[in-house]
Amino acid sequence: MPRAAGGIEVEGIVVECLRNASFRVELSNGHKVLAHISGKIRKNYIKIVLEDRVLVELSPYDLDRGRIIFRYRN
Amino acid sequence: MHTVRFTISRVADNQWHAIENDLVVGRGHATRRLDGRTFLSIDTWRDAVFHRLAAAMVADQPHDQVQYTVVDETDRDLLTNWVLAGFATWRREAEFAVPTGPSRATVRSGPSGVVITTADEAPLRELDRAIRGEVEAAAGWHTMPPEVLPWQGGTRPIDPSQYTIAVRDGRYVGLVRVATMTRRPRIGLVAVLAAEQRHGIGRALLDHVLDGLHGCGFEAATAEVDETNTAALALFEGLGARRTGTTLELIRRPGKAV
Repeated sequence: MPRAAGGIEVEGIVVECLRNASFRVELSNGHKVLAHISGKIRKNYIKIVLEDRVLVELSPYDLDRGRIIFRYRN
Repeated sequence: MHTVRFTISRVADNQWHAIENDLVVGRGHATRRLDGRTFLSIDTWRDAVFHRLAAAMVADQPHDQVQYTVVDETDRDLLTNWVLAGFATWRREAEFAVPTGPSRATVRSGPSGVVITTADEAPLRELDRAIRGEVEAAAGWHTMPPEVLPWQGGTRPIDPSQYTIAVRDGRYVGLVRVATMTRRPRIGLVAVLAAEQRHGIGRALLDHVLDGLHGCGFEAATAEVDETNTAALALFEGLGARRTGTTLELIRRPGKAV
């Protein structure tokens, strides 16, 4: 039986690409988080660029941090 | 400090979950690429979960199998975790953003007698085979990215629409492949026959496709270059490409303890 993810998943837009493989993502509620790319995305050589629409899994330990787990094709 | 209360479950042939209180607190994934290599990835917020997932995933793979993963060079925590799992750096790949328009370095005149044009499948396959034969006879493909490694069974898929080729005297001598499926196109492969190298054909191919991309509204393309390939680094830097990061490909050979 599928289980729920431990983190909250929220859509957002990449508003800043930072040097250390991190991105500033503005979530649909206006909140901005610091996000890095998930291993699964990196493994598949999926590139994230400015203004990409992405799905972010927020850290359950720090809601200002997240992990980009999907990039939408927009 | 977390008490280790989670359990690891293999939920599919290529997926593992770390479960705590019926919630997924970590995910592991294995991908077998068409070149035959298996790449692992783990996503979790906790190091203890990472290590347990890594141990389970490695233990579930065939004993004689070599495994790979990719990490951004600046992600020190993740890199440390993979090293502790028995992985070591195998390939360093520089990532570039290549400008397509006026910010690009001055375009020189192309090599004389060479025509840059679209590709037909039959001669393209012949060129592809010739270039692979040259590399396999020399340095080999062993650290190359997945799309250029020896193909595992069947016929290597080639989509001529993704290729631009250089022709001299009716013979294909060089190629560039560009994928435009996303908002930022990716230069996937640039290759010129050994006898035709150092004549500006690679540069001419790139100038041609970058001009085309600019005309289609793309401001930049991405490319990755093996850091040991100094000629390719010089080619992209000569185009005014901006380095955007470094990806490390890690390898774990059979018998390494986790």
